[in-house]
Amino acid sequence: MLVTSIGQGLLWAPLVIGVFITFRILDIPDLTTEGSFPLGAAVTISAMLQGRSALVASLLGFLAGCVAGWLTGMLDTKLKMPSLLAGILTMTGLYSVNMHIMGKANIPLMDQTVLTGYLPAGWSVNLQTIVVGAGVTLIVVLGLIWLFQTRLGLSLMATGNNRAMSAANGIYTDRMVIIGYMVSNGCIALSGALIAQSNGYADIGMGIGTIVIGLASVLVGEIFLHGRRMWVRLTGMVLGAIIYRYLLTLAMGLGFPVDDLKILSAIILVIVICLPLLQNKYRTRQQLRRYLNQIGVDEHATNRRFDRTTSPEGLLSRDDK
Amino acid sequence: MTVQHLQKVFFPGTINERHVLKDVSLAVAPGDFISVIGNNGAGKSTLLNTIAGTLPTDAGELTLAGHRVTHRPVAYRARWVSRVFQDPKLGTAGDLSVAQNLTLAERHTGSLSLRRYQRADQTARYRELLATLEMGLEDRLDAQVKYLSGGQRQALSLLMATLSHPQLLLLDEHTAALDPQTSAKVMGLTEKIVTTQHLTTLMITHKLSDALRYGNRLVMVQDGQIKLDVRGREKQALRQEDLMSLFMA
Repeated sequence: MLVTSIGQGLLWAPLVIGVFITFRILDIPDLTTEGSFPLGAAVTISAMLQGRSALVASLLGFLAGCVAGWLTGMLDTKLKMPSLLAGILTMTGLYSVNMHIMGKANIPLMDQTVLTGYLPAGWSVNLQTIVVGAGVTLIVVLGLIWLFQTRLGLSLMATGNNRAMSAANGIYTDRMVIIGYMVSNGCIALSGALIAQSNGYADIGMGIGTIVIGLASVLVGEIFLHGRRMWVRLTGMVLGAIIYRYLLTLAMGLGFPVDDLKILSAIILVIVICLPLLQNKYRTRQQLRRYLNQIGVDEHATNRRFDRTTSPEGLLSRDDK
Repeated sequence: MTVQHLQKVFFPGTINERHVLKDVSLAVAPGDFISVIGNNGAGKSTLLNTIAGTLPTDAGELTLAGHRVTHRPVAYRARWVSRVFQDPKLGTAGDLSVAQNLTLAERHTGSLSLRRYQRADQTARYRELLATLEMGLEDRLDAQVKYLSGGQRQALSLLMATLSHPQLLLLDEHTAALDPQTSAKVMGLTEKIVTTQHLTTLMITHKLSDALRYGNRLVMVQDGQIKLDVRGREKQALRQEDLMSLFMA
């Protein structure tokens, strides 16, 4: 069960990393995800049905995601739309685009060789999935680690953190936001391409709930691995994707039907948002008690509900800038 | 830098219409250190914002270092203009480290470059620069800026703004959010840096004493127009009482 989760998690990891780029680096909640994920799947499967190799088709899926991200970026920056709305518009429009690409709501692969097909046939499906997932994820992670060591990467981080300061230091922030959207949605679409190949079909509905999956995985990853270095953060995202899959598998093991997966996703997201809040509150309380004891103040004389005065940092609210 | 016949109207055609800059012209000579004073709402900040590019102008021409920049965005003007904001949080990126902030400020071009931003020599150089601030920042190169105090952040902003040797330095009440002691310290640093680098500077301030003490030129903005523009000996002869009476007029 764990092995299956690792394989599936690695296929989902590019999506989580994509969500991480917009949500954490650019500080934008991007709903394009729900459209670019099936877009990647649709483009890849269609291309394979037309005779392209799995590798080329997956790359085409990635590029299609970049185009979707560019579109949302243009709506956001050039037409000055709120980023949530920009994402919703692209996502909605992409539904029709995906239908046109696929021709019908679900297209299965025939006997085309998927990425795992390049591996020795003697290996088990799980091993093949893990190797392909790990390979693609490694390329994505290494690429991004490199990117964030360049001046461009630094400009991206600065733009997400403080746009006024970035512009004052000569960074064209609109360009940065658009580039961020493109990289992010490219990764998301790549994930869609991998999942579709693993499933053996592309489906118009496969994007539903992906933003919740992405956000939950980002938060789970941050609970288990937190640091400031980019490779730690990205590894955390991969870990988050795997743990999230495992949690879902566990829930399924408890006897929940497949139809309940979406509500489980939503509940997991609520839990992982609340958990760090409570944890933080508890830790602050402990620290304060220890400190008060140290300086000899009677803790019973203090306001017991000091959580009203100290606001613990939420995971969704950005740190004070 | 020159500003010619600048006009700025907010909310034109509504009841809230406000003509904030009325035909403002200002020629800044290289090396000028100008203190800008004026009431709230007089148009000082609007003037600064139109020069920096955060606000578009409605009419008039803006020239920076021989380039017409009237319709250019903030990032384009950043080649020549640096700015320190009133809010210490605005001038620095809090999630990034001190060193990363300095790197961003060092060159205002090449943000699309795919070269590594860390250079071998930068740590030693940055430590040396930060030591001149005398705020203990030289040992905190890797600290995230959000953990610094307001004074430290503002001193860092100042250092960042002057690191690229700008043709024009804009200071927007940059000591207003600091306590008196820190404010005096940052002001002292400002003078030191501006004089050693011969920076052309435009400084908005509400402290008349600072306006009189620093700089070679003083400009007073009132009701969207430049009411007073004195320099050199004439400025030195000015007393706080003279300015007060002008404010009342």
